[in-house]
This record gives sequence, C-alpha cells and structure tokens, in this order.
Amino acid sequence: MHILIVEDDQIARDYLAKALREVGHSVDVAVNGLEGLHLASSVALDLAIVDRMLPKLDGLALVQSLRATGRKLPVLILSALGDVDDRITGLRAGGDDYLTKPYHMSELMARIDALARRGELGSAEAATKLKLADLELDRMTRRVMRGGKKIELTAREFQLLEFMMRHSGQVVTRTMLLEGVWDYHFDPQTNVIDVHISRLRQAIDKDFDKPLLHTVRGAGYSLSEDE
Amino acid sequence: MDQEQRFLGVLASSPFRIAILYSIVFALGAVAMLGGVYFAVSRVIDGSTDNLIEAEVQGLREQVLVLSRSDFIELIEQRSQDQEVRGAVYLMVDPQLRPVAGNLPSWPKIAADQGKWIQFKVAVPYGDETRVHEVRAQRFPLPGGYRMLVGHDVQERQDVKNVMMRGLVAAVVLTMLLGLSGGFWMGRRILAHAGAISAVATQIMRGDLSQRLPVRDAEDELNTLAREINGMLDKIEQLTLGMRTVLDSAAHDLRTPLNRMQSTAEAAILQLDPASPERRVLETVTTEVDRMRGTLDALLRIALAETGTVAREAVDLSELVASIVDLYAPVTEERGIKLENDVAAGAHIQGSRQLLAQALANLLDNAIKFTPQGGRIRVFLRNEFGGPEVIVEDDGPGIPADKRELVLGRRVRLDQARKLPGSGLGLSLVAAVTKLHGARLVLDDAGPGLRVALKFRQT
Repeated sequence: MHILIVEDDQIARDYLAKALREVGHSVDVAVNGLEGLHLASSVALDLAIVDRMLPKLDGLALVQSLRATGRKLPVLILSALGDVDDRITGLRAGGDDYLTKPYHMSELMARIDALARRGELGSAEAATKLKLADLELDRMTRRVMRGGKKIELTAREFQLLEFMMRHSGQVVTRTMLLEGVWDYHFDPQTNVIDVHISRLRQAIDKDFDKPLLHTVRGAGYSLSEDE
Repeated sequence: MDQEQRFLGVLASSPFRIAILYSIVFALGAVAMLGGVYFAVSRVIDGSTDNLIEAEVQGLREQVLVLSRSDFIELIEQRSQDQEVRGAVYLMVDPQLRPVAGNLPSWPKIAADQGKWIQFKVAVPYGDETRVHEVRAQRFPLPGGYRMLVGHDVQERQDVKNVMMRGLVAAVVLTMLLGLSGGFWMGRRILAHAGAISAVATQIMRGDLSQRLPVRDAEDELNTLAREINGMLDKIEQLTLGMRTVLDSAAHDLRTPLNRMQSTAEAAILQLDPASPERRVLETVTTEVDRMRGTLDALLRIALAETGTVAREAVDLSELVASIVDLYAPVTEERGIKLENDVAAGAHIQGSRQLLAQALANLLDNAIKFTPQGGRIRVFLRNEFGGPEVIVEDDGPGIPADKRELVLGRRVRLDQARKLPGSGLGLSLVAAVTKLHGARLVLDDAGPGLRVALKFRQT
C-alpha cells in the first residue's frame, strides 16, 4: 500500500514511517497540514494517516478540504486530544477512523488493514452471505452453518462473528471489537472481550478439527483458514 | 391541553394573584365610597318626603276640626287635583272603606298593626300601559268612622336609589374585571418572558453555554435581570472555554511524549531478542505507558465531564443498560458470579452515551472486583415517576457508611482494595458523569454489599 503520514512530531513520524515500511508499505511523509493536503491531492495514495493538530493547516481542516474536492482516500486521524467529543468531530469532518495517542503499533496496523480492506470490499459489506472455508453466515436468515451443521449463536455472538467474518484474514483488536460490535469507545478494566471471543470459539471451533478463530499475541484476534 | 395548561399557569402566576388581591381591595373601596353616598342620599330624600307627608297630615288634622264634611271632601278633591304637588296621594273612605274623595282607587289592603308609616304599591296608568308605583303614607281616623290616608308616590326616589345601587354594583364589577384582566395580561406577559428564560436556562444546563437569555426592548426588572445573568453567562462560558483549552493542551502535552515513549520502546523491542533482559525492561515501559494512558484518559474524562461541555444526544438508557449487562454477562459467568438484571424498557434521557456507558462499565468492573466467586451482582433499571433510576448491587464487602462520601473523591482506595488492580478513579468518573447528567449518585448498603444508584431526572 502507498500510505501518506502527516505528522509534525518528528519522533512519532519517523517511527511510524519505519514501522510501515518494514511491513512492506511505501510511505510518503508531510510535516504540516498544507504539505499534507498538497500530497494527498496530487499523489496516488491508498491511505492517509493524519495527526489532528498540525501547523499551517489543522488536521481536521485538511480532511475537510480533501473531502470537499471529492477524494475518497481512506483517512485515519491520530489525536493527542482524544476525548469523547473529539472523536465525533474527527469522524464528522470526514475521517474514517480515529485513534488516540499513545497507541500500540499493533492497534494502528490492524486499523490500517481494516481501512484498506473497507475500500476493496465495499461490495462484500452489502453481501447477504459471508463465507470462510466451511463456515457460512447468512445475514438475512441470521443462520450460521459450519460443515453443513447448523451452529446456534446468541444475537451478540452472531454480531461478533459477522464482524470477524467481514474482517477475515485480518487482525482485529479488542478495541475494534468493542467499537464495531458494541459501539463503545473506552477500555473496560475487565477482560470482557476475551470471554466473548472464547465463547464464540467454543461455538464455531469446538467440534471441528481445523480452528478458524485465532489469538494474535499482543494484538487481538483473527478469523482465518491459516494457522 | 397545552393551551389549558398555559391558562392555568397564568392563573397561578404571581402578578395575577397580586391583581386579584388589589381588585378586591379596590372593589371594597368602591363599595365603601358609593355605599356612603347611597346611604346619605337615601336619608336626604327619604327625610324630605316624610316631612312633607307629616306636615300635610298635621294640616288636615287641623282642617277636619274646623271644616264641615262636605267642605273637607272638597278640600281633599282639590288637593288631589293639584298639579303642583306632584305625587301627592289622598284617599278618604267611609266606614265601609268605600272611597269618598281622593286620587286613589281603593283603600290599600294592609294589616292593621303596621304602625304609623305604611308602604304599598299602586298601579298607575301611563298612556297604554300601567306601572306599579311605590307609595308611602300615613293613615288617621276622621269623625264619624271615616278614615283618611295621606301619602306620597315614592317611586322616583326608589328609582334614584335603584339607579344608585345599580351604579354601585356596576362599579364594583367593573373594578374587579379591569383588575383581573389587567392582572391576567400582566401575568401572561411575565410568564411568556419567564418561560423563554427558563427554556434557555434548560439548554444552558444541558451544556450549550452559547445560549443567552432573551432580552426585550424594555427597561423592566426582568430585562435588567436577564442582562445581568447574560453577563454572568459570558463569564462562565469564558471560564469553561478556558478550562477546555487548558484540558486540551494538557492532553496534548501529556499524550505526545507518552506516544514518543511508546513508539521508541516498541521500535526497540522489535530489534531485541525475546529473551534479552533489555527487552523485558522495555516491555515494562510499555506496560507503564499503558497504565499512565489509562489514568490520563480517566482524569481527562472526569475533568471534561466536570466542565459540563460534553455534547448531548438522546440516549436510550434501557438499550444502554441492557447492552452493558450483555457485555459483562460472559465474564461474570466465567468467574462464577450470578449476574441478575431487570431492565425496564423505554427510559430515555439527554446525555453522552459514551460517558454513561463508561460509568456503567466502571460500576460493573468494581462490582466484579469485589464480588467473591458464587456471589451475585444485580443490575436494575426502573422507570420511576421522577425519572429513570439505574441500580448496580453486589454482595461483596460493601463500603462502610462513613467512607461512602470519601470514595467519590479522586483516587481514594480503601485499604482492602489496595491489592486489587485499578486506578482508583472509577467511582470519581461515575460521580462526574452523574453530575454532568443532572442525576444523583447514591451509595447504599445492599445488606450485604454495595448498592450504587444513579437517579436521573425526567427530561
């Protein structure tokens, strides 16, 4: 992927660029908002990571200007403010995702992958049937089958599985699940998500040889055919 | 319904009540003044006719002694015809009460024991119609069993009295009407103004500090008051915005170095061998950064809630409580804790869904932390009359009554909790969020355990 980083903090910018290059992305950097807007509108990009507070042109204004020109480029906003309202204003300005500093690199990577895939899989999101190996989920009839066997899930487990299937093959973090399935933007002190996942795992993997739901150490979970 | 309520509202307003009081006072004044006039005028006109009759009776009593009967009869006839003495009434009857002379058609039927003065009604022809007039008279015997009646038509004076009485009643009614309608008008005006003020005040309480009270183009007390309150609101808005700016820059200035620390440590970790002691040190650094971030998030959210400037939306509290219960249900089950809930449907409030969700999550985190295996946590949402009430109850050790106020302060952790994880800000955040929503936070003994109740107001 070709990713643009607009960040004025040099240490954060360098580390981010290095980390993204290491996993195989090509990276452009901009140190202020104006430069960022210029690059974002002239270079072919797959994604932009924009700091919220930038010199010359504020991160929110950058995203707004970008959207005003009709560019659909996925944008992840990084913010050092990060309270309840800032998230809403960030998304309202045209951001596709919002992450508060300090963040874990694994969290950022997972969100970048999800954002990039969202563009590709625009049609899959609307599809009524989701499929992975022998696991099938029908969003219309709300039925889940694996290997021809019906799997009984609660409403919440169904939502959880649906979210995992829409992000199959990617790492999904606990915060992403909490946001995507429950629409909550805080970290509970209790390991609530882990327990929900282990129940889902019981339901879909227990009676089958090949597990589909994997734990990704230090990052989150992933639903995929590969080990 | 709305109109009716507004009408009743005006009736209950203080200007209207003052107007009622003053109307009554003025009406009493009108009664006293016009009543006095009525009384005095009545006395004067009553007295003058009575004197006239007295004099006539005296005169005739003297005449009857010196005149023969036929001359007396002629005198009576003459007096009866006299146009100058308008309204004079005479009647002379024989012992069988048959009229002999005078201008009355018959002797009035009056009980004998009526005393000196009698009053009766007579039909008087007026062109085609007849009218009933009031006559006041005296009677006296004549020689030979004849009787004499001398009186006066008092209808006119009765008319004057009636007119005066009607005037009096009309004056009282008019005073009351003017007073009441004036009061109603004033009440409505003031209520409209007060209503506008209270509507804006509600919006301001909900966190929209940009709102100002309406000021009309007049120099009355309400406008002066509204202007002064607006000045106060300018000050408050300025202070709150200042607080937010400080919060924002504090957030920025703390998160940026934390982010650098995290980035640098993570980058270094990737270069190191998993077993190296340096790596373990750096992993401790990232764990501590996480902890600091948790505390910072909590502190910033508490401070934010306390500025009261969080955006509000319509929140389905029933859905929210049910979803939090749903989020925590598996975890409690795994720990051998029974999570019971009874969530009433249809509870809606204005507020911040995220902050409310976090407050409820904090309460459940706490309850789970303090509830032993085999214990029980109960979550209720009741739609009380005054507003919805959320209750989280555990059967853990509870909080002693004298420490309940204390734990709501920042970073207070009771001795028994020191060995448990947590920032000690959980309940402080609950308290700040509760306050932000104009709700009441009540800590109670669940016997055994802690009962936390969030009592919201109806919106």
